[in-house]
Amino acid sequence: MTEQKELNVEDIRKEAEEKHCPAQKALYYVEKFLDTLMCGKCFPCAFGTYEARVRLKNIISAQGTATDSALLRRIARVMTEASRCKRGKDTGRFLLEWIDTNAFKAHSERRCPDQECLAFIEFRIDPDKCIMCGDCQAVCKFNAIVGEKKKPFLSGYLPFEIIQKRCTKCGECVPVCPTHAIAKVELETEKEVPV
Amino acid sequence: MEGSMSNTVKLTIDGQEVQVPEHLTIIDAAEQVGIHIPNLCYLKGMKGIGACRLCLVEIEGMRAPMIACNTRVKEGMVIHTKTEKVQEIRKFVIDLILSMHPLDCMTCTKAGVCNLQKYAYEFELKESSFTRKTLGYPVDEANPFIKRDPEYCILCGRCVRVCKEQGTNVLEFMGRGIGSKVTTATDKPLQESACTFCGSCVDACPVNALLEADRWRKGREWEYEKVNSVCLLCGNGCDITVSTKDGVIQKINAGAAPGSSEQYICAYGRFGFDCIEAETRLTAPLKKVDGELKETTWEDALKIVSDKLKKAGKEAGFISTAGIQNEDALALKKLASTVVKTKHYDSSLSLYASPESLTESQAADMDAADVIVLVGLNPSQWERRLPALDASIRKRVSRGAKLIVVNSSETRLSDIAAVGLGGDEIASLKGLAKALGHKSLKADRKLTALVKNAAVTEETEKAADLIVQATEPLIITSPGFFDAAANLTLFKGKAVTAGLESNARGVALMGMATKGRTYRQMAGDGMKVLYAVGEVPIQERPKADFLVVQHSHLTALARQADVVLPSATFLESAGTMIDYLGRLKYLPKVIEPQGQAKNHRDIFIQLAKKMGATIKRPTEAEVKKAVKVKAKQPLRPFARKEGLEISPDAFIESINASVINGSRLLWLKEAEVSA
Repeated sequence: MTEQKELNVEDIRKEAEEKHCPAQKALYYVEKFLDTLMCGKCFPCAFGTYEARVRLKNIISAQGTATDSALLRRIARVMTEASRCKRGKDTGRFLLEWIDTNAFKAHSERRCPDQECLAFIEFRIDPDKCIMCGDCQAVCKFNAIVGEKKKPFLSGYLPFEIIQKRCTKCGECVPVCPTHAIAKVELETEKEVPV
Repeated sequence: MEGSMSNTVKLTIDGQEVQVPEHLTIIDAAEQVGIHIPNLCYLKGMKGIGACRLCLVEIEGMRAPMIACNTRVKEGMVIHTKTEKVQEIRKFVIDLILSMHPLDCMTCTKAGVCNLQKYAYEFELKESSFTRKTLGYPVDEANPFIKRDPEYCILCGRCVRVCKEQGTNVLEFMGRGIGSKVTTATDKPLQESACTFCGSCVDACPVNALLEADRWRKGREWEYEKVNSVCLLCGNGCDITVSTKDGVIQKINAGAAPGSSEQYICAYGRFGFDCIEAETRLTAPLKKVDGELKETTWEDALKIVSDKLKKAGKEAGFISTAGIQNEDALALKKLASTVVKTKHYDSSLSLYASPESLTESQAADMDAADVIVLVGLNPSQWERRLPALDASIRKRVSRGAKLIVVNSSETRLSDIAAVGLGGDEIASLKGLAKALGHKSLKADRKLTALVKNAAVTEETEKAADLIVQATEPLIITSPGFFDAAANLTLFKGKAVTAGLESNARGVALMGMATKGRTYRQMAGDGMKVLYAVGEVPIQERPKADFLVVQHSHLTALARQADVVLPSATFLESAGTMIDYLGRLKYLPKVIEPQGQAKNHRDIFIQLAKKMGATIKRPTEAEVKKAVKVKAKQPLRPFARKEGLEISPDAFIESINASVINGSRLLWLKEAEVSA
């Protein structure tokens, strides 16, 4: 309780700044703001931040369109001007700062330059590099990797593969692979990106 | 608003140079010169809260837009109400609200008067650009009065604020932001809360979230004909606005000016109109044949009654309620005194008031009162004892007025009183007068002598200080204490008597006071012919040889009558009344009387005609002549008028029995019994 009382918008922003991607920062900020400081006493802020959360979620889940960004900007701008108190106005200002970065804009091209928005990437196993040692399978907590470990003198086996539906993109399989066969791929460009 | 034009300021609104009173907010100032500044949460008369942000305007020299609902005008201000910036803000807010509002204007009852619809139209919003949100809250429609549908709620908070300001305090916000909801204390249905079903929230709601329960498919606002009138069901005599469609009343709303502390009506005033078509409604004259009431013609009924009255002459008696219109009272007095030639005519106001306490009562303005002294009265919204007076006082107090309660018993309003003077009322009033004398207010020597020995407590001093500091103290007293209470006006302020019936003051001023037997005596026994007008609070037939009852409904008394004459209700008869604050109010004929019912005065005129005499239809001039108020108040004795103690609750219920039993109000009574 006391912690909430002392909390201010700058604190939430600081916490948000620990992330890299501006869309992630904005969403973190908005969610925390809605949970704590948002008093609900004026319409632009009360309804605006709620809508902003919906739109930010669209964007980071790769469902975003140009409309989402445009509406976010509109929400942020009006909040800056019309909110009743400084908290609301500051929130609008922060959002605008994040929205105006190039990294945020890249999201409309389905790219997260900071690689934090996981909906834009996939982990894939390169079958040419895979030696079927099974280490990745052992480390995966979500049973997202199928495949049969290679055994001597046995032919006919199931290649190693990541079931994308189950994969949470935690990335823990990457460092255990002795042959660096697991790569992070940006879906939009089909290019490998650094982990 | 007295003296409001004394200090004015000049400013420019949208290029128009205007001159307005200095205390106004920008939103009210703009309204005065015909410029509407959009708003959803603003409530005239109450402090603006700036929640909806629609009323933001730009003022030259100010960096950020300002809310017009809570910014006062200043000399030389240059205001722009429709800049691109504020229009965009307004459009944005409306757009967001639309995202959580059902878009069913085509079947919505509030279409045409809905502010959201109006602004959506103005900003060309066919639908929301934002994500559709449905909250799925259940509808509260378990009572026959008010339907609450949170789906439509835009969270403007108007209902919460009116409910709070008038002291009912039932509605509140639960949660915050988009997930919040207007609820009762523990989210129970209205009838399980302290709700009195006054419907103030319905009048305040800008959308379809709070509505009269039976409004669905009873017509939209533009189909209604709206008429201002006055409710005659209790001593408050509230202004009402009646909406009719095809000659049938569809709803009644509070009729006082927006922003007035008197903008309130109770459940009786708002929902009692059902009784117009109740089963007990009389649509034809009745006469007793072999011990049973049978329908007959007006011709026959009037003949029987006029013959009886002629024969009885000075042994005939007339009793009436004081809920009849001035013109009816005048005609009744003429019929009794000049045609039937009897001294026995009286009204039920004599049960609780002396005529002088009403005729000498002053004229006052509730909205101007900054100190209210309540003497011997215990108004209550919850018991529906002068509920509008209770609500008005609470509103005045929340707007800064101070309340002094002079009462020997605990009252409902005591909890918001600045000072409560308990103990004997006369002693308190004497003490107050003495203290006022000491506070160097001009004192009448005779008055000083009268209160020389009165006890002055610390509380008395405090009350006197409040009166000294006030600019317009208003003393509202029960009739019995009028003499003593009115003596305070010799120092300062105005004193008015609050009677229990709507037109008590009018009926008294029209001279409907007996020269012979009193109401109580006539209701007791022995008239040759007793003629009762209106819903007189009598259950058992008095020992009269012949009983005539003239009323709109078949009451318990009417069932025991020899002849029953069907009369029009106050909504079916044009006339005037005088309310407790001394205002002459007009009641138009809102609808035609049911069946063959006639208004009271027409029946009296026709009876006179049958008896070979002529009563002229009372004119406005006649009423106005009778209303003239004495300018100077005399010194009166510091004494209580005795013999006027009746139970106000039982009395009010009794004079409204056919309204309550003939309308959905019966549900309330049944709910109270079962609870």
